[in-house]
Amino acid sequence: MSVFKNHKTVADRSATDRRRHKEKIDKAIKEGIHDIVAEESIIGQDGKKKIKIPVRGIKEYQFIYGVGSGTKGVGSAQGQDVQKGQVVRKAKQKGKGKGEPDKPGNNAGEDYYDVEVSLDELAKYLFDDLNLPELAKKQNNTVTSERIKRKGYRSKGINARLSKKETLKNKIRRKNQAIKNGTFDPDSGERFPFHEDDLKYKHIEVTKKPITNAVIFMIMDVSGSMTKRKKFLARSFFFLLYQFIRFKYQNIDLVFISHTTTAKETNEDDFFKKASSGGTYISSGLEKAEQIIQERYSPSSWNIYTFHCSDGENWSEDNPKALEKMRNLVNISQLAGYIQIKRSQEKIWGDEMAKIFEPLISEKFKVINIRDKKDIWPQFSKLFGGKYELI
Amino acid sequence: MSLSEYSTKDLSDWDEKICEIARSYGLDWFDINYEICDYYEMIGHMSYHGMPSHYNHWSYGKTFERTHLNYNMGQSGLPYEMIINSNPSIAYLMMQNPLYLQVLIMAHCVGHSDFFKNNRCFKDTDPDHVVSRMRNAKKRIQGYIEDPSIGQEKVESFLDSLHAIKYQTNRYGIPRQTRDEIKAQEIKRFNTYKKKGLLLDYDDLETRRLLKPDHDMLSFFTEYYPDKFSNWQLDLLEIVKQDSWYFMPQIQTKILNEGWASFWHYKILHDLKLPDSLHLPFLKMHNAVVRPHLGGVNPYHVGFYIFQKMEREHGLERCFEIRSNHDDVAALRMLLDEEDFRELNFFAYENKKDGSAVVTEVTDHDDWKTVRNEMIIKTGINMIPHIYVDRVDTDGTLVLKHEHDGRDLDLDYADKVMDHVRAMWDKEVKLFTIIEEEVWEI
Repeated sequence: MSVFKNHKTVADRSATDRRRHKEKIDKAIKEGIHDIVAEESIIGQDGKKKIKIPVRGIKEYQFIYGVGSGTKGVGSAQGQDVQKGQVVRKAKQKGKGKGEPDKPGNNAGEDYYDVEVSLDELAKYLFDDLNLPELAKKQNNTVTSERIKRKGYRSKGINARLSKKETLKNKIRRKNQAIKNGTFDPDSGERFPFHEDDLKYKHIEVTKKPITNAVIFMIMDVSGSMTKRKKFLARSFFFLLYQFIRFKYQNIDLVFISHTTTAKETNEDDFFKKASSGGTYISSGLEKAEQIIQERYSPSSWNIYTFHCSDGENWSEDNPKALEKMRNLVNISQLAGYIQIKRSQEKIWGDEMAKIFEPLISEKFKVINIRDKKDIWPQFSKLFGGKYELI
Repeated sequence: MSLSEYSTKDLSDWDEKICEIARSYGLDWFDINYEICDYYEMIGHMSYHGMPSHYNHWSYGKTFERTHLNYNMGQSGLPYEMIINSNPSIAYLMMQNPLYLQVLIMAHCVGHSDFFKNNRCFKDTDPDHVVSRMRNAKKRIQGYIEDPSIGQEKVESFLDSLHAIKYQTNRYGIPRQTRDEIKAQEIKRFNTYKKKGLLLDYDDLETRRLLKPDHDMLSFFTEYYPDKFSNWQLDLLEIVKQDSWYFMPQIQTKILNEGWASFWHYKILHDLKLPDSLHLPFLKMHNAVVRPHLGGVNPYHVGFYIFQKMEREHGLERCFEIRSNHDDVAALRMLLDEEDFRELNFFAYENKKDGSAVVTEVTDHDDWKTVRNEMIIKTGINMIPHIYVDRVDTDGTLVLKHEHDGRDLDLDYADKVMDHVRAMWDKEVKLFTIIEEEVWEI
């Protein structure tokens, strides 16, 4: 009469559409991320810290009726006595979800994904299409480093890599389904045994990365004119840079220099957290970098990247020297950048540094201006060849 | 017990008995092809409404992910049955199902297939060719995606727009008038006016493309303004329209269709004289399927109630008439009385500003009709706001109107849909609706 056939498993039929959907979500996450790159809470965190990003789901819009106040609905009372005026769904509590068992089910489910990402994942979203320019130039092509990374689960594997957690999860899943179908009675005292299909093994992947000889200099003005807000912006920028480098490259040296009228090399902790005050000699930071390069990083075998962050203010007697020092650094760097943190209407004494450095602007030397939090990502992205455009 | 504990032979033995009983009652259904698959494939087919082949769009990937997630988190089981309106009908049996459930599903499917074959709403769905039609549509769309002069982005965003208005098409299955027919009517109307001494502009009838409001937006685009679209876009318009026309009857008859299928699985499984080991779990499952949903409307519950009542009061023949001629709205309006509503124990509620809901009417003597009417406007095609093309102004502005029935549109959604319509139209587009009793223009 009817025909029965075992379904021929062809290719996973929705794979293409799932991929497109995922691409859309990724895009939505990326768009959401730019708003949070300069949030206080992420600055100075390590890679494991989880951040919640609200991402609007990819909605499918159609003409629908509103479900707001005054709209009506119908429901079954299922053997209960319901009276006029009875509250069948309680008012929403502030800050709490609904979780009301007897609510009329008419809420057009809001598509909102609260995506929790770690800083490492965040970095992936942010930095995937950005690159340090010309890094290949001084590579030691022959030397590579291996990096072992966990990557998902497989149904086959060696015992040592058996994932007890995933295996157990599968069994529980199967058990719940069996209970639902009525094939297993949880009260019967019978054992619900593991099945071969439950087994899951951790999968690892080995990736090879070429070792690069590169060093990044992060130079920050911490003088008195750098207000708290400006220091925060500078730190945000460097933090982003730091995460970027950490994500993208292995074996890159980082040198942190903070300066007022004098400069000193610091560790990353002090660099991101310590406050200072005093006057400004821009040249001091640059000179320090030059000195360290001479001592430790010969330009003939190292790729050098130099970034300097300040509010644009300098004691004017220092300007010629700063220009000179910057010129030297540009000459030996693959890329140098000057990041000025200044609101456009702000007045400063004398010429701002962005102007002083103008003659140096070239492929190898970029000057960018950050006015507020919003600028950080677009400017950063611009510096490293991202396609991000200012909206 | 799962497929390892019974064989396909067992299934076909039970099927034979089911078919014999069904035939003896006069059920008349398409042959059914059962596909036995695992849960992952089941979710895959569900995402495409069970169609063995359907064009690709990211929204189906989204449906898959959501179903899969809910299933994995144990928030929802999978629907036990899925059958499509085609000849032969294609139904899916999940291999993890125990035997009694497969038997129930097969009997249930016979009911659905009979409904598809005989209910008036489905008469234009062309079940003989739907599978090949959708397969061809998929191929053509794939071709547009691979065509370097069109490509994925364009196809996808045009489909996004079409999906936003896909149900704004022929709502009631009324045959569509050609422009010439409309014109003839208009001339007749003009002439009656003329007798009363009113002169209307005949020239206008020659030049204006759209002569009167069009309630089928998708057809409006293809018939009156094909020059605004490229060939591949017209094809997409046609494909989406066909899809909507195919699925619309299922929206209109959810209650009756599920009711009919439940009515028959219940009857057939009783007649099958199942051994206790299968009968008891069957009864348990049946009760779970047709139980009322607290605070909501379970179509299985209402539909099953309707057919049971009709059989009790008017005999089986009346049931067959209902399955042939009614849709859900008609059934709710004509077949249920005050007593039934009291029995079904429905109530109407109002959503309040603070998110709470308060009962406004219960099914007592004074208010049961109000409850029924509230239910009717939440049923079938009435769930979808009715937007139609009112006119195209001389400057090319497309004017849409919302047939307001007391319920306001969700403005956020309406705004977004209008963006989609604007993407399809090269001139201005306006929508008139009513929000809080004031005329509103989007």
